[in-house]
Amino acid sequence: MSTLRENWRIALLVVLLLGSAVALFVPGTPPGTTPEEGAGDASKVSNLQYGIQLSGGTRIRAPIVGTTAEGVDVAPNQTAALAQNVSNELGIDPIDVEVRAGQRGANGTVEVFTRNVTNQELRAALEAEGYNPSTIRPGVTQATREEMVESVTDKIRTSALSGGRVQEVSAPGSSRSFISITAPDREPEALVDILEERGVVRMYAVYPSNNGSYVREQVLSQDEFAGVASDDTQSRGPVARVTVEQSAAERFSSEMVDAGFGQARSCRNYNHSDIQQTEGHCLVATLNGEPFYARGVAPGLAESFRENTFKDDPIFVLPADSMEMAREIELNLKAGRLPAPLDFENSDQLSLSPALAEQFQQNSLVTGLLAVLAVSMVVYGRYGRPEVAFPMIVTALSEVFILLGFVALVQYPLNLSHLAGFIAVIGTGVDDLIIIADEILQQGKVETGRVFQSRFRKAFWVIGAAAATTIVAMSPLMVLSLGDLSGFAIITIVGVLIGVLVTRPAYGDILRNLVLDED
Amino acid sequence: MVEFEVPEVDYTQYSNRQLVAVPLAVLLVALIVLAGWWAMTGSPVTLGVDFKGGSEVTVETTLSQQEIRQSFDEPVVSVQGVQGQSNQYIVTFDSSNIDAIRQTVDDTEGMERLRSGTTSPLFGAENQRLAVVGVGVAFLGMSLLAFALFRTFVPSIAIVISAFSDIVIPVAIMNLVGIKLSLGTVAALLMLIGYSVDSDILLNNHVLRRSGGFYESTYRAMRTGVTMTLTSIAAMAVMAVTATLFGIELMASIGIVLVLGLTADLMNTYMLNVTLLRWYKYEGVNR
Repeated sequence: MSTLRENWRIALLVVLLLGSAVALFVPGTPPGTTPEEGAGDASKVSNLQYGIQLSGGTRIRAPIVGTTAEGVDVAPNQTAALAQNVSNELGIDPIDVEVRAGQRGANGTVEVFTRNVTNQELRAALEAEGYNPSTIRPGVTQATREEMVESVTDKIRTSALSGGRVQEVSAPGSSRSFISITAPDREPEALVDILEERGVVRMYAVYPSNNGSYVREQVLSQDEFAGVASDDTQSRGPVARVTVEQSAAERFSSEMVDAGFGQARSCRNYNHSDIQQTEGHCLVATLNGEPFYARGVAPGLAESFRENTFKDDPIFVLPADSMEMAREIELNLKAGRLPAPLDFENSDQLSLSPALAEQFQQNSLVTGLLAVLAVSMVVYGRYGRPEVAFPMIVTALSEVFILLGFVALVQYPLNLSHLAGFIAVIGTGVDDLIIIADEILQQGKVETGRVFQSRFRKAFWVIGAAAATTIVAMSPLMVLSLGDLSGFAIITIVGVLIGVLVTRPAYGDILRNLVLDED
Repeated sequence: MVEFEVPEVDYTQYSNRQLVAVPLAVLLVALIVLAGWWAMTGSPVTLGVDFKGGSEVTVETTLSQQEIRQSFDEPVVSVQGVQGQSNQYIVTFDSSNIDAIRQTVDDTEGMERLRSGTTSPLFGAENQRLAVVGVGVAFLGMSLLAFALFRTFVPSIAIVISAFSDIVIPVAIMNLVGIKLSLGTVAALLMLIGYSVDSDILLNNHVLRRSGGFYESTYRAMRTGVTMTLTSIAAMAVMAVTATLFGIELMASIGIVLVLGLTADLMNTYMLNVTLLRWYKYEGVNR
């Protein structure tokens, strides 16, 4: 029992090594993976995730096109009207204007998602509407960025891309932020196509015919929607507000009357998946043929159809249960279009063929092994004592092994820059082990555990100080969005921490056993 | 296997002035190179695609370099054969119109696209700003930590100067031998801060915090420190050579920069830093 207490550092190292082995090799161990997944892919030896540099694929990082006016004191029930007016003023598609009310009517934002509106033009348009924005800046709001990530993720998922990753990346101290999209097994052109792909939105009227069966008739097509906005109204709560193209408004209204919507109707049997099963008097909206909304027609709207006044103000509202639902209806009506366009012209793209990535994977492994071999030879040449040099190399390698286990556990995709981080970890690790070995071995005989302890503590001061500087030097990279470098910094920092807290002290214990045994 | 022992240098033979002259002269030359570069090119270092914007494709083809060059409508900056892989070439462009470049590769008979990457000038400028901030903050943090650890001016500033020199010298050599600054080399420069400080802390610690004479302590620190640096140089040299043979640019450039920087570190630690410490120990303390 006392041996265990004395050697708890070695015990901890062994436990962590075993844990890493499990995380690395037992299928289904890391959260979010399943054993079947691992078994299905026979070529996958470990649970490690490879990034595109080591497995092929495409990464695109693109800024979001947009300009934002902040500090617009717009009331929640005014947002749709303001969006409509701003789009008229600027001569752009209403779909490209997003108005968000702030808390208690203050600090709302107006965003325009198009390249050809300048800050001055947006300010002028808002001032013409009687609003006085505090700042106008390039970029979009946090809310839009989150929606972007969500809808890009949706798109990637629905296009059967496995292992795609979507992230918002923003650089501290910069108003610019961008969306990073990684897709294994896709060419860049294909990925851009997926992102720009739009769905088909239609609106149908469903009503009973004279013979008792139901008629399902398309009343609005995609290009007949002039604009969609979600809105929190006082009288009706959250709604999605739909503007119909002027040219289509009269036809739409008369077709609605013919379908029996000249009077108020309520929709009874709305079938969520199949419009053919929907019965009653319903207005049904579909995206790519899938219904996502169905309602009847309220008395006011029915009257405007009947009196043919709808064309004068071709707007109808779709009531929703919550603001989120209103927002979802809005996004669906925008046909799966991204909330704002991505600026591919100013993007940063990287694409590797799986063949080259495979080549990199093998070659970097060989490179790493050769580097370890070189280190071993120098260490052996310096000490000439296998019992000092061998545990040193084993300890350094176990550091890497634990780090690999960690990477597998958090399912962090490995890229070339991370491998450089591994090599940095081996480098600093061996440096520290040399400090420990020299401190303990080179000052005469170690007679008691106490002498050992004091020497070890002295060595540890240097190691701790060196580790602290490495961590300080690397930490800015962790937060700066400098491409692959943040991964490199994370690996190095985690590696140094594992080293200082676990493996390097354990090496001290190993040495103590060896040295004290000699007596 | 040849056993080696770190040789004991007889520092008493040399005056402080003689010892610092060499590293300071090298640092000065490096700074002049950077200043000259700045005056001539508008940037102290040669910026790679990551920082300047532009595109790079790796292709596999039996065409000659000249034929590759002619295949593209966009002006080609360079065509570089990948070492150790016959028929693989890295083609670099200033243009960031990657779509057109990819199209050309795909349309050209007998040319296969292995890798394509582009950085828009916008991203390049952003990367430049962030890299300067990153290296600056790292260096500042390291300096503060050095002062916090030793709490005396001369030994702490010795660490800072030698780390500065360790970064400047490889950057100047990079300019001279034509290695462009990429994200990978920036990573290497940051790694250098860590490595450089290791041996400096070790030396300061032995001289200032341990009993024993100055020369004895210095020798002990040297024995450990030189072994450390040599191990790292060995690892990085092997990485630089094999990665170059395999055509893994990123790892190759990290390796080369570290070999250069660590070699500079040997000189700076055991000539500049030692001398500053000796001056501090024998003369500076009395002032």
